Amino acid sequence: MSAIAAFVRSPALRRLGQVVTAATLVYLAAVPLLPQTNDATLFTYTLMLTTIGVAINWNLTGGFTGYVDFGHAVWFGIGAYVTAIFMSTEGNSLQIGWPPVLCILLGAVVSGVLAALIGSATMRLKGPYFSIAMLGTFVAMREIVRVAKPVTGGGVGLNLPLYLNRPLFYYVQLVLVAALLVFTWWLRRTRFGSALVAIREDEVGAEMRGINATRTKVAIFSFAGMSTGLFGGLWAFQITSVDPDTAFVELRTVEAVMGAMLGGIGTVIGPVIGATVLFWLNEVVWANFLDFHLIVQGVLLIVIVLYIPRGLVGLFDARGPSVITLLDKWLGTEPGDTYGDDRVPVRAGLGSAESGEWFEDEVESDPVLTGGGTEPGSDSERATV
Amino acid sequence: MSQLLQALINGIALGGMYTVLVLGFSIIWGVLGVINFAHGEFVMVGAYLAWLANEYAGIDPFIAAPAIFVVMTVVGFVLQRVLVNRVIDRPHLVSLLVMFGVSIILANGMKLIFTADFRRNDTALDGSWQLLDGVTVPVTKFFVLLCALAILVGLSAFLQRTRLGKSIRAAAQNREAAQIVGIDVKWVYAVTFAICIGITGVAGALISPILAVQPFQGPPLTLKAFAVTAMSGLGSIKGALGGAMLLGVVEAGLAVYVAGIGTNLAVVASFVVLVVALITRPQGLFGGLRPVDATAT
Amino acid sequence: MTHLLEARGIVRRFGGLVAVDDVDIHVDEGEMVGLIGPNGSGKTTLFDCLSRVQTIDEGTVTFDGVDITRSKPHRVAHLGLARTFQVIRVYRELSVLENMELSVQWRDVGLRKLFGKPDRATREKADQLIEFLLLSRVRDELAGTLSGGQRRLLELGMSLMSDPKLVLLDEATSGVNPALVEEIKERLVILNRERGVAFLLVEHDIRFVKDLCQRVVVLNHGSKLAEGSPEAIMEDRAVIEAYFGDDGSEEPPPSAASEPSTVETV
Repeated sequence: MSAIAAFVRSPALRRLGQVVTAATLVYLAAVPLLPQTNDATLFTYTLMLTTIGVAINWNLTGGFTGYVDFGHAVWFGIGAYVTAIFMSTEGNSLQIGWPPVLCILLGAVVSGVLAALIGSATMRLKGPYFSIAMLGTFVAMREIVRVAKPVTGGGVGLNLPLYLNRPLFYYVQLVLVAALLVFTWWLRRTRFGSALVAIREDEVGAEMRGINATRTKVAIFSFAGMSTGLFGGLWAFQITSVDPDTAFVELRTVEAVMGAMLGGIGTVIGPVIGATVLFWLNEVVWANFLDFHLIVQGVLLIVIVLYIPRGLVGLFDARGPSVITLLDKWLGTEPGDTYGDDRVPVRAGLGSAESGEWFEDEVESDPVLTGGGTEPGSDSERATV
Repeated sequence: MSQLLQALINGIALGGMYTVLVLGFSIIWGVLGVINFAHGEFVMVGAYLAWLANEYAGIDPFIAAPAIFVVMTVVGFVLQRVLVNRVIDRPHLVSLLVMFGVSIILANGMKLIFTADFRRNDTALDGSWQLLDGVTVPVTKFFVLLCALAILVGLSAFLQRTRLGKSIRAAAQNREAAQIVGIDVKWVYAVTFAICIGITGVAGALISPILAVQPFQGPPLTLKAFAVTAMSGLGSIKGALGGAMLLGVVEAGLAVYVAGIGTNLAVVASFVVLVVALITRPQGLFGGLRPVDATAT
Repeated sequence: MTHLLEARGIVRRFGGLVAVDDVDIHVDEGEMVGLIGPNGSGKTTLFDCLSRVQTIDEGTVTFDGVDITRSKPHRVAHLGLARTFQVIRVYRELSVLENMELSVQWRDVGLRKLFGKPDRATREKADQLIEFLLLSRVRDELAGTLSGGQRRLLELGMSLMSDPKLVLLDEATSGVNPALVEEIKERLVILNRERGVAFLLVEHDIRFVKDLCQRVVVLNHGSKLAEGSPEAIMEDRAVIEAYFGDDGSEEPPPSAASEPSTVETV
């Protein structure tokens, strides 16, 4: 391990990380109490939390199982619309007017159930076919909402009863995002979480080893759908009106994908960092170059994908090409090989008294051992992101 | 009876439009292995060029098409050398996201230049012909179909007969082998991409009198191109025609026979056709330049 | 007595090509069976059919008394049929230990276990197998960084984590250095004797098959050419012809393998 890698992994830096995390949490909790905070800025913060939440959800399928969902915003739209349909007392012919909390929860449940149904069909498709099928789901759902006028209010949309309490919404979403983050962190450590990664790495292999891949991936997909639906419902409630073009926005998928990519796809904390950076970047670009805002976003996407495929988190990971290896190169602190010299031959145990020799053998004749071990395609076809 | 005939004619006319829309997408995927997520945006750019030509110089889109082909070919060539070349050997997600980035840039760039207003292009080849009592042929779409067939024949001849065309097919089937026999694969890729973007620009010009031109018309077109390609086999020219016709007839049939479905839901229909086709016939219906299996990892 | 694995009349077609043509094959409990044949003779396709990665066009397969002809791959794994792959399949972004822990017998994993961390028994078992397969040194490395031979061992270990009754080994020795091949052989014998694990092995190294197996099945052009004891197979004219035959295969002739072996057969 190089000196720099050792520094990155040192307890001192870890403690610094903990301090930063704690400070961030305290700051986020105190935002509504700060003197310069008004309703508008608080709403901006709430929207940031929405972006983060959706990015975390997208990462559950796109990052962990490798099923890249290009229509994730559909669950947001469905959550928003179900909430609106059951809450609204004008605009459509139903006029149900149920209490908000019930409507928002219902929106999440409907999103989750639809995700389970649609997912069990589309998740049979792999790679780009799945991605496009989900984009199709998204476009189709928006059209259906537009056409189903008696229920959804058509192109005009629906208005929700006015109820504004920005600090309340802010705290609700802060708690939600924190819970989601902790949940993701915990999930990644369970067998289920490992199974998700196994599906990403090799779905056929995972099935052959007894993992019910279909059930596992559809389960996480519908959880993500439900959770994004929840954020959709909260959003509809706060924005107090929905229409097809604001509830079903491609950009929400784009931001989730980009947030996860920028922070580090398939990692727990990556989407949070990525979505946060992206959100504030957008705010700055939005404020200063309104017209170029989306163009900048497109350029940024290309740059991220081409130059930092492992994301910001990956930059501090000694494995790939990273800040660490770059610094090592500049400072001349790189070790001779990746594994260092701390690997000593280990004698094999269990019924093999005469074994153990081959390791020395291997050290010398590694090419022999590895020579025939190049599996066709396995290296080139594996996704690096 | 006349209703059925009309649905069929509408379907075939629509199919002609889809054929010209899908060709470039299908061949890029088949030869380069890149899914051109910005396909619909290139159509849109071609449509804007045709609109400009008509608005400021009074040139009919059908006449402007060859010039647009040249312009878009150059655009395609440059883009391939600068950007697409970098993603050819990378996983699908990488090329998908990079082209996604291109699509965002193109759509919003065009919005910046032309605003989001809908533009309608005109052509002299307008109106409809009365065929029988209650059966009409839409003139513009008829000529689009003719152009589609002409492009199809030209492209087949190019791929079958010319040296360059043969290298393109070789590179699509086995890249290493093509390199060994001395084909400059990178050059072949660049030319293929350029020609396909050229054809896609022409497609935009041809449909500009039919579909309103606006910066955000791209994604549904990409989706359609994807649906037809996945159904018909990657890079298969015959397949593109077959798949496009099938989709056209299904959509037109639905519009005539299902009460109140309207054109808005046509996109839903094509999506359902796509998913069902992919799940039941993952290899595609017609077979193409490259084997495809949508359900295999 | 019923066989542990019994396949009858297996047919698998790819378009016009018949990759596996009416093959009968069976494996008894605790038995070691070899499956050999020239390149392209349908060995891996037959494996794919037996382990249900590929659909079976005709024929039936039963495992441990259960008809698995239409089962999903994970159900087959739950019954105790494990396999390795010619093209190694390990989870490259996970560590060796995680790879092992993830290959438990999922039949026993209920909701509580599913949403828990791997338990101590699993960890101990994984560690034991890692040691047994000489992988202790790379226990915490990512599987993607291992050498080809180490990945073969890891894959073998993963197949054993689920306490299978039968393991289908697809080219367990290709790309592995000769010294390690002997190690693998020895481990397979131990597993077979002490745990009663049955093996069906596809092999190019015919000496390996001869040393281990009681019975050998020969495939050629997708159909069964011969079946019998290793010695009888080596003598079989049809088999020799298939290997030396006109289809230009680069197989070593079976006779090359008939040197004396160092490990006694079971």
